[in-house]
Amino acid sequence: MSNDLTMEQDEILRLDHLSINFGGLKAVDDLSFSIKDKEIFGLIGPNGAGKTTVFNCITQFYRPNEGSSVLFRTKSGEVEQLVGQPVHNIIRKGLVRTFQNVELIEELPIIDNVLIGAHIDFKSSGLAQALRLPSARREEAEMREKAMEVLEFMGIKELAGELVGGQPYGVRKKVEMARTLMCEPKLIILDEPAAGLNDIETQQLAESIYQVRDKYNCTILLVEHDMRLVMSICDRICAISFGKYLACGTPSEMQNDPKVQEAYLGEKETAQ
Amino acid sequence: MNSKSTKTYLSYIIFGVVLAALPLLVSTGIIKTSWVGIIGGTIIYAIAGLGLNLLLGYSGLISLGTAGFMGLGAYISAYISGDLGLPWELGMLLAIVIPLAFGILIGLASLRMEGLYLGIVTLCVSEILRKTFDELEPITGGFSGKKADFPTLFGVIELDQNTTYILLVVVLVLLMILTYNLANGQLGRALHAMRGSQVAAQAMGVSLLKYRLIAFALATAYASLAGALYVHFIRFVYPSTWTLSVSLVIMALVVIGGLRSIFGTFIGAVIVYALPDLLLKNIPVIGDINGLSYIFSGVLIILVVLFYPGGVVNLFSSIGNKFKKNDSSAATLATAADAAGETPVAAATTEGTEASNE
Repeated sequence: MSNDLTMEQDEILRLDHLSINFGGLKAVDDLSFSIKDKEIFGLIGPNGAGKTTVFNCITQFYRPNEGSSVLFRTKSGEVEQLVGQPVHNIIRKGLVRTFQNVELIEELPIIDNVLIGAHIDFKSSGLAQALRLPSARREEAEMREKAMEVLEFMGIKELAGELVGGQPYGVRKKVEMARTLMCEPKLIILDEPAAGLNDIETQQLAESIYQVRDKYNCTILLVEHDMRLVMSICDRICAISFGKYLACGTPSEMQNDPKVQEAYLGEKETAQ
Repeated sequence: MNSKSTKTYLSYIIFGVVLAALPLLVSTGIIKTSWVGIIGGTIIYAIAGLGLNLLLGYSGLISLGTAGFMGLGAYISAYISGDLGLPWELGMLLAIVIPLAFGILIGLASLRMEGLYLGIVTLCVSEILRKTFDELEPITGGFSGKKADFPTLFGVIELDQNTTYILLVVVLVLLMILTYNLANGQLGRALHAMRGSQVAAQAMGVSLLKYRLIAFALATAYASLAGALYVHFIRFVYPSTWTLSVSLVIMALVVIGGLRSIFGTFIGAVIVYALPDLLLKNIPVIGDINGLSYIFSGVLIILVVLFYPGGVVNLFSSIGNKFKKNDSSAATLATAADAAGETPVAAATTEGTEASNE
């Protein structure tokens, strides 16, 4: 792990020589790229390219190899090394993620699922909560109000009291997105946000990704298979294959990159 | 939200008042004296059940060690207030704090184990404790058991069986309120998150170590408190009381009553603990079968898991919903609004889920 904590002024996340092995398999191999502040950044690659593994290395679910570096500009504006930090501390830095297979609590109402996103923002002690002291009650009420605002922003305010179990996939995805917004993140990592959505829902998703970026002033990193979505909303894209860096650039640069065309976009018709 | 919690508190307090009226009914001769002992026992089981519900229901972690910790609480309290002659309150405090330390150790172990393995480890701890009760004669009295007195509050108020029973009711109601607060706040959501998905919980900043320790600490504290109350209510304790079957009965009452339901835990305790004693034993022939209550709760668990996974408490709310739905669908027909047709049903289900959370 390098101790060098320097980043360009406009960068928010910087990966340097990120590698991870699973036994003999090199899932991510010496990957370096950086994301600029307020950017919508796409990470693409065919199945098994190691995209989700990269996510897991950034969020410290996996421990990357020696020499890997993941620098992040935190909420306070300082640059921190994420490698080696406990998983549950990552969100405190201002980095939050969604999951490929929406991970929500079925037995809880939507609003409580969203409130879990505010877990780190609760200041009152366990004792104050157990006795429901005025300070704890006020805090809970404030957080609930904030959660309602986020739900309204996502357009599912009227469902707040419904259980998550039984909600359609599109709604679940919105709940998961709402949950990430509770902590006022600097960077949101979306793991295949369009998977399982129909055309209209995907369109709405693209809209809401823009809105989230603009309203919450955050950067977005997404992994996605839906090329149309990636090409239409991303400012820049990084392509990887078998854990290795291939190319990085704007959507049009990527579309014209012969290596990328061949490896990821297949036939020219689909690459338009 | 605020009015909802006030309503819930009120329902717990009314429930407590009704329970506390039992000795009065006994004195008028409407019900038998033995009921005070049986319902008192039910309350003690419900207290331990509330703790296990936090662990099993909310956090999704298993423990077969409830009995051991109840026993530990019972012996510590009996020793401190009896043999050492120290105040009853101090005995209760230590009877909670010492087992709590054990609970935290198990919580540490739980980070490395899941499901069955965790069950086996907690069972082993419980059995080790039981063996210790057997052997540690100077403190526990060994096989012959240990005597204790009814509590003396603040060194002056000496309680008898009926007033101790009322003390049990007060403690139960306080714990119900406490559990409700914990379960419906940040802590409860963190436990929920841990059960729902460990990865998502961690991504949201929930430290698995911290909340597993908290869950085990709470379950142990409730269990040892229940044990300490037991010894001062029954006034006698044997090592052979704290076997696996007690742990299983408490787990059964949590599952039958309703996971993550506070009233459900008490209903479960009534069904599993009180009903066999009050009703089944009076049935001719069948009532004489040894271990009938185990057969009864075994069959019930199967039925509940098959037909009412939410527990018996859901039976009540779904009956309630049926009435509400009928009412509201009639109302909707009257206004005959197409789009509005969904709202009353949705409202009814929401109320149903709220009810089951209480």
